[in-house]
Amino acid sequence: MLLIQVKDLYKIYQMGNTEVRALDGVSLSIEQNEYLSIMGPSGSGKSTLMNLLGCLDTPTSGEFFMDGINVATMGDDELAHIRNKKIGFVFQTFNLLPKSTSLRNVELPLIYNGEIKAHDRRDMAIKALTRVNLGDRVNHKPNELSGGQRQRVAVARALVNNPAIILADEPTGNLDSKTGEEIMALFDELHKQGNTIILVTHEEHIAAHASRVVRLLDGKIAVDEPTHRGKK
Amino acid sequence: MKSFFWENLRIALAELWGHKTRSILTGTGIVIGIIAVSLMSTLINGVDGLFEESMKFLGRGNLYVEKWPWMGGGDDWWTLRNRPRIELDMADEIKERSQYALVVAAERGRSANLSYKDLSAENIYIHGVTANYPEVSTVDVEFGRFFTDSEDRTGSPVVLLGSEVAKTLFPHENPIDKMIFAGSKRFRVIGVLAEMGQFMGSFSNDTQVIIPLETFNKIFHGPWGRRSITVKVPEHLVEEAKEELRGVVRVLRGLKPGEPDNFAINQQNAFRESYQGIKMAIGGTGMIITALSLLVGGIGIANIMFVSVKERTREIGVRKALGATSSQIQGQFLIEAMVITASGGLVGLIISTLISLAISKFLFPATMSFGVAFMAIALSAVVGLFAGLAPARKGAKLDPIEALRYE
Repeated sequence: MLLIQVKDLYKIYQMGNTEVRALDGVSLSIEQNEYLSIMGPSGSGKSTLMNLLGCLDTPTSGEFFMDGINVATMGDDELAHIRNKKIGFVFQTFNLLPKSTSLRNVELPLIYNGEIKAHDRRDMAIKALTRVNLGDRVNHKPNELSGGQRQRVAVARALVNNPAIILADEPTGNLDSKTGEEIMALFDELHKQGNTIILVTHEEHIAAHASRVVRLLDGKIAVDEPTHRGKK
Repeated sequence: MKSFFWENLRIALAELWGHKTRSILTGTGIVIGIIAVSLMSTLINGVDGLFEESMKFLGRGNLYVEKWPWMGGGDDWWTLRNRPRIELDMADEIKERSQYALVVAAERGRSANLSYKDLSAENIYIHGVTANYPEVSTVDVEFGRFFTDSEDRTGSPVVLLGSEVAKTLFPHENPIDKMIFAGSKRFRVIGVLAEMGQFMGSFSNDTQVIIPLETFNKIFHGPWGRRSITVKVPEHLVEEAKEELRGVVRVLRGLKPGEPDNFAINQQNAFRESYQGIKMAIGGTGMIITALSLLVGGIGIANIMFVSVKERTREIGVRKALGATSSQIQGQFLIEAMVITASGGLVGLIISTLISLAISKFLFPATMSFGVAFMAIALSAVVGLFAGLAPARKGAKLDPIEALRYE
C-alpha cells in the first residue's frame, strides 16, 4: 500500500537576491513497511526533505500525500495534528525533556493527542518502554540513563502513538559504534514488526540497514535504488 | 481542552519548582503589591470602624457653639484668636429662643492633678458640665450617680471619676463618698463612669473627671480651657437647626447684619468631611503603591518569561514536533506566568492576613474582608495574564525546525 506520495516537490528560499533551491523537483513514493534511508552531502536538501516528510514544514510547490491526505497545503495546527498521529521522530540528540521521567517523556505525544485518558496513556507508555527493553527504567530521568538508553526512550516515544512512519534523523550520530549498532538492531526489529522507517544519515553502514536508499544531490534525487540488503 | 489545562498546570508547577530561587524572586514584586492593596483596604476598614466608634461620642444631632472651628474654617488664626470667648450662660437663652433645641448643655474643661491619700493622677482633664450633660453625650455612670441640677447651681464639690482615674486613685477601695483633692480643693466622689475608650485613637475619655459647671467656675477663674455649648437637635433637622442656632447666637451676641460670625458652630460633619479627605489620600496612595508594585512585578515576570521561553526553545521544538499546537504552547507559558503571580498573590495575602491580625491585636480592630482577598488573587492572576502574553506568544510562534536546531 502506498503510504507517502511526493510529486514535483520544490522548496525555494529567497536569500537576498539569490534564489536557493533546497528541493528542486523531488518525486518519491514510499510503500507501507518500507525501510528507507535518505543520504546526501550537506546542502543536498536532505534536511529539507526530512522536515517536509516530518510535516514540520510545507513545500513551496508540489504534491505531498500521506496516507491519502494532502499535507502540502495544510496549516500549522493541522500539521501539528498530523505529526502527532502519523509521525514518530527520533533525533540525533535524543531531545528528551531533561526534567521528566522516561514515562513522562514517552507519554508526551499521547498528551497532545488530547483524547487519551491519563490511565491509558500510562499503560501505553509503559508498553512502549517495554518494547525497547526499558520496562525497568520507567521512573528514571534522562540524566540517570546511558546514551543508548536515552535513545531507546526516544524510540519508545516515537512508537507510542503507533505512527504511520518513524522518522529517524542521524539516530546513531551521538552514540558510540557499539551502542549505535544496538539502536540499529532495534530499528531492524521494528521494521520486521511492520513499521515504516525512514532513516536520514550520512553514514553508509547505517544506511545499509535499510532496504532502499535515496541519494540527494543539489536538491534532486540522484540515486534511488535498493541496498545490498534490499536486493536479497 | 480541559486536560491541557491540568497538563499545563503540571508543567508550570514542575518548572517553577525546578527554579525555586528564580520563582521566589520573580514573585516577590507581586507579593509586595498584594500586601499593599490588601493591607491598605484592611487599614481603611479598620480606621473606618474606629472613626465611627469615635463619632458616637459626638452624636449626630449635636451642634457645638464654640470659639474655634474644628476644622480649618477660612478665617486666619488671629481673627479666630481675637474672638470673644463663649459665654456659657448663653445656654439658657438658647434653650428658650431655639425651636429645634431639645437639650442645651454647657461645658468647660482644663487639666489638673488629682490626689487621694498618697496616690495621685497627673494631667487629668477636669470637665465642668451642666447636669443635663449625660443627655448630649455618651457618658454612662457605672457606680453611684450623676450630680443633680441643684448641685450644679449651688456649685457643690462633687466629682465623677473616669474609669481609668478610678483605677489609679482607688486600686483597692470603693471610691464612692471618698474625698479627693484637685489642687487644694476637696471633692466628694459620687460616681464612677463606665469605660468609654478613646476618641480617634488618641484622647482617652476614661482619664477625665466630671464636676458641676458652677463648681468649675468657682474654682478655675481665668480665660483658659475649652468652653462649649452643646445643643442637641433632632438628627434629621440638623442643617436647619444649625442655621437657626447661628441666628440665635448672632442676636445674643448683638452682631449687626454684615458683621461676620465671631463664633463657630461645630458638628461631627466637620470630622466626617476631613476624614473622607484623609481616607481618600490613604486610599489613593495605596492604589498608587499597589499599581506601581504590580506593574514592576509584572514587568519582572514578563522578563523572566522571555528568558524562560528562550532557554526552553528546544523544549518548545520537541513539543511542537510531537504534536503540540501553537495555542497549546501559548497556554503552557501563560499558565506558568499566572501560577507565579497567583502564588505571589496567595503569599501576599497570607502575609497581610498575619499583619492585620497583629494590628487587630495591638492597635485597633482590622479585619480583612473576603472580597479584598478574592480581589487580590484575581488581580494577581490578571497581572500574570498580561505579563505572560507577549512571552507566551513568542514561544508559540517559534518555528519547530529552528527551535529543534537551537543550541
